[in-house]
Amino acid sequence: MGPPQHQQQSYSNVVKPKQDVAVHRTKVILLGTRRSGKTSILQVLFKNLPPKQTFYLEPTMRVTKHAFDTVIPLEIWDCPGNITVDTLEAPLSDFSSIVFVIDIRDLYQQPVAKLVEFIVAACQVNRNINLEVFVHKAEKLQEDDKIENFRQIHERVMDRLADESPEYEQVPLNFHLTSVYDHSLQEAFSRVVHKLIDSLPYLEDLLNVFCSNTSSPKAFLFDTTSKLYVATDASPVDQATHNLCCDYLQMLNSFGPLYKSNASPDPRSGVFSSVPGAPPHPNTPPTPAESLDYLSSNLDPPPSASAKPLFYPSASTSLSPSHPGTTLTYHLVTPHLALLALLPTTVYEIRRGLVEWNVVWFREGVGEIWEVEKERSEGELA
Amino acid sequence: HLHSNMKKKVLLMGASGSGKTSMRSMIFSNNPASLTSRLGATIDVEQNHVRFLGDLILNLWDCGGQDAFMDSYLSIQRPTIFSHVGVMIYVFDVESREMAKDLEYYRDCLDGLSQFSKEANVFLLVHKMDLVRDGERSAVFQRKVVELEKASGDFPVKVQGTSIYDETLYKAWSSIVNTLIPNAQNLSRHLQIFAEACSATEVILFERATFLVIATSSSNASDPVTAHSLDSKRYERTSELIKAFKQSCSRLREEFHSLEMELAEFTAVLDEMTKNTYVLVVVHNPVVETAAIKMNIRMARWKFEELQGDSLVS
Ligand SMILES: Nc1nc2c(ncn2[C@@H]2O[C@H](COP(=O)(O)OP(=O)(O)OP(=O)(O)O)[C@@H](O)[C@H]2O)c(=O)[nH]1
Ligand SMILES: Nc1nc2c(ncn2[C@@H]2O[C@H](COP(=O)(O)OP(=O)(O)O)[C@@H](O)[C@H]2O)c(=O)[nH]1
Ligand SMILES: [Mg+2]
Repeated sequence: MGPPQHQQQSYSNVVKPKQDVAVHRTKVILLGTRRSGKTSILQVLFKNLPPKQTFYLEPTMRVTKHAFDTVIPLEIWDCPGNITVDTLEAPLSDFSSIVFVIDIRDLYQQPVAKLVEFIVAACQVNRNINLEVFVHKAEKLQEDDKIENFRQIHERVMDRLADESPEYEQVPLNFHLTSVYDHSLQEAFSRVVHKLIDSLPYLEDLLNVFCSNTSSPKAFLFDTTSKLYVATDASPVDQATHNLCCDYLQMLNSFGPLYKSNASPDPRSGVFSSVPGAPPHPNTPPTPAESLDYLSSNLDPPPSASAKPLFYPSASTSLSPSHPGTTLTYHLVTPHLALLALLPTTVYEIRRGLVEWNVVWFREGVGEIWEVEKERSEGELA
Repeated sequence: HLHSNMKKKVLLMGASGSGKTSMRSMIFSNNPASLTSRLGATIDVEQNHVRFLGDLILNLWDCGGQDAFMDSYLSIQRPTIFSHVGVMIYVFDVESREMAKDLEYYRDCLDGLSQFSKEANVFLLVHKMDLVRDGERSAVFQRKVVELEKASGDFPVKVQGTSIYDETLYKAWSSIVNTLIPNAQNLSRHLQIFAEACSATEVILFERATFLVIATSSSNASDPVTAHSLDSKRYERTSELIKAFKQSCSRLREEFHSLEMELAEFTAVLDEMTKNTYVLVVVHNPVVETAAIKMNIRMARWKFEELQGDSLVS
């Protein structure tokens, strides 16, 4: 592990989303009966709709597709409740994941029957499809009822699948408890996304190295606007810590516009979001997707558009002033991804240089992985 | 400095279910809005002493709003309730179906005040504004203002729209507690000097326990903040954001202590100023570093400890 090899400007070429380049998007479809909460889930995650406002959402009449760019480009389909395998405008084999949304209070046969119908159809065309069940609106029930209903829904789905054919008993189904009113939705959807990112092990490695170098007990790589984490280190995710990180991101996202000045619209000329669009990395050697050797791939930095060093937004909050204390740090590493880490305050204060050096190193690594993913998604289309 | 405690009696009145206890528990006990639905109706008067800015003691009288209690406040308990009142906050549910009755009780309470506490400040809150659809909010509020000002006669009142689900709660309560800090002007003047020393666009002082805004550096119109034309809701939004984050820290059994931000839009430090206050220093000059701001805050501490004591003495 050497010092950062490239100059920071090397990432300016990926600042501007390139509308003109078509990319291959990994597809995820949301299914479920009417009013189960599909549109709410999409709007809360990707359009910043306040959860209370989901109350006013109109019923979805036709399929709507949402593009979401994170480490990999995704396309998420929101479907009307009455859609069937036959009326769906694309074959199920086009999708990498199916997310089936069931209202936790909906213990009737219909949603389960529909879910089973889709599972059977999906498995016939794609054995590797990821099947996810969101048992949704979980905050509506008290703890005991919540667990009981969750268990019943799980059991019914498995029973119905076994009725179809014993072979379906082996189908891996992932059940999640979700609600738009807390961060359980972000957590569940993060886990859905993880299965779609081929480079996940490399991102995890980077996080593990960061944690061990800085004595961090927990670090996440978050998509800043959706608050989904695209990767985390090997230590288990504790729900309370995850919630705190989501709340922290939410607060930082809100602070930006609140004290944004109109007098100096662009005080940091080198900041990601305002770097002039650089030519899209013209002389990068294509990396064979099979090798997936992200960490050692040697991308030449493109000619940088501006001489100024890039500015990377960051923040830190110190919790429990008592010794040693915890500091929660935020470092933007790409225009949309931020490293959030819990650090012992003593480390952050006394060995700040070490922490920052590791952030630079981490940023380099993520940037390279991101480049390779991007090329692949553009290449796959050709 | 030796300062004796200063006590102020604050009456919280209004119909049952209008939201008095909910607001009190959010501002002074840091409860989240989501838990207010579990509150039961307040029986008779719930008295609470809360320390504000260290030496100021707010004696909150949360008066249960059911008719039987109101009738008793206005008759047998009249002198007890209405004597020595510093502030009366009267809460009206924006969706009240019994506005005529609410207004009658309200006028009776004004009578009680003019009899026992002529000097009291009166704040009227049109509450649960979140229940009104976005587009209609300001029209509905204006109608309520007219109605309430008419009902108040000659009594000078201030009407504000509030909801526990957004920043309006903090705006209203900040303006209420500000009437209880006689020398807040003096604090503002010094914050301005401090802002200049930090090359800050703006400096905001919060009370520590409630995170209500007690003073800001930009009190006049000709200062740079106007040129930056910052969001007009920034004070109360900041209170709301920090309160929410403090709650989420406490759920992890952590305690919020300080915050530094070097964002694309600005640089800022939020840190303890005195034992009872927090300060937010917002800088748009990209050259200024957070370490310098923190150093300045450390050096200003003793001065503000001193000023804060004086700010309560009228
Ligand atoms: N929608 C909405 N509901 C609110 C708001 N404020 C309070 N509530 C709800 O109103 C209900 C009654 O609130 P309380 O605070 O107990 O009312 P109160 O004025 O103390 O009532 P009494 O003690 O009987 O006089 C609770 O369920 C709160 O959750 C608000 O701003 N918006
Ligand atoms: N309590 C609760 N209500 C929810 C949740 N998610 C969605 N809803 C509500 O469920 C209703 C239907 O949501 P919608 O997204 O239109 O459902 P769709 O038909 O599946 O797209 C709306 O009134 C939402 O406010 C949740 O997590 N908790
Ligand atoms: Mg009450």
